[in-house]
Amino acid sequence: MGVAAAATLDYDAELMLRVKEGDGTSFGVLLEKHRASVIHFVYRLVQEQAVAEELAQEVFLRVYRSRSSYAPTAKFKTWLFRIATHLALNWLRDERHARGQERLDDGPADLPARQISDRRPSVEQEMVREVKREEIRRAVAALPEKQRAAVLMHKYEEMEYTQIAKVLGCSDSAVKSLLFRAYETLRARLAHMEAT
Amino acid sequence: MNCPIEDRRPAILVAYAAGELDRETASALERHLADCAACRPVAAGQAAVWKALDAWEAPPVSPDFDGRLYRRIDEGALSWWEFLTRPFRTMPLSQALPLTAVAGLLLIAGLLLHRTGPTAPVASQHEVVRANQVESTLDDLDLLRQLSTADSAESGHPDAM
Repeated sequence: MGVAAAATLDYDAELMLRVKEGDGTSFGVLLEKHRASVIHFVYRLVQEQAVAEELAQEVFLRVYRSRSSYAPTAKFKTWLFRIATHLALNWLRDERHARGQERLDDGPADLPARQISDRRPSVEQEMVREVKREEIRRAVAALPEKQRAAVLMHKYEEMEYTQIAKVLGCSDSAVKSLLFRAYETLRARLAHMEAT
Repeated sequence: MNCPIEDRRPAILVAYAAGELDRETASALERHLADCAACRPVAAGQAAVWKALDAWEAPPVSPDFDGRLYRRIDEGALSWWEFLTRPFRTMPLSQALPLTAVAGLLLIAGLLLHRTGPTAPVASQHEVVRANQVESTLDDLDLLRQLSTADSAESGHPDAM
């Protein structure tokens, strides 16, 4: 498939075809565009920043190394997140086998750095926020892996059910089922957190 | 009151919280929520979940992320020559120069050994030996002739005349 044909799919696929033809600049554009979303997605799945960056490196390495065999059969982002999800879920399974489920009961790990704003929150306010963040983190971590991945793609990447289904390799209806069950669980755990 | 969206409640309320409904559908749903005791808590709970997830920030990306990635890409794309010479690239000149000199000497020695191999030089050596032998033989004959001439002159032999 040539570059012109790929343009009907999406611009990212067109860029990837240019990478296939040896254009390193296009790879840089793709990296710049998707770097943060891939890292953040993987971080929220594995909940360890260093691991998330290492896995994201592997994602982009795989993208680059498979450039010669790339065929734009789906949206580029779908392909990218398929690789990311595959790597992250594999890591979670290996980690679970290695360490059991203790991580879910651990203390806070790699929580985001505190944001210092002009309206500096009091120590109490910051502690309340920290507790909430930790509660959210634990609630998401407690979801089954596929539900977790589906929620993260739906919430933070604003991906459609069809796209999530392609990433997870299941049907649209299966994705809806995963999502609704996941949100139901989250409602039970987080609904008390009224807007503050 | 029977809820008209009971079967589709999760899908509609998740889409509503995510802001995926068009304005008209959203307005109709809001009117329904005002009256429906079954949907209202679900909608409120989903809104709370949405807001809570919004508050979950991911840490910033390391500034050297791209640098590390490109280094790994470069490492994977080395040719065999680059792979062999890579350890010497970062070596200081004081260490690299002696190593280069030794490598050059070894190369020259190898070439010389190859040139003085057993085939072609043997034939030329034979030719040199043969020429020397002929020359030496001729010298010897001249010497014998001179000696015999001298002997004849002393003894009055007729051949000497």
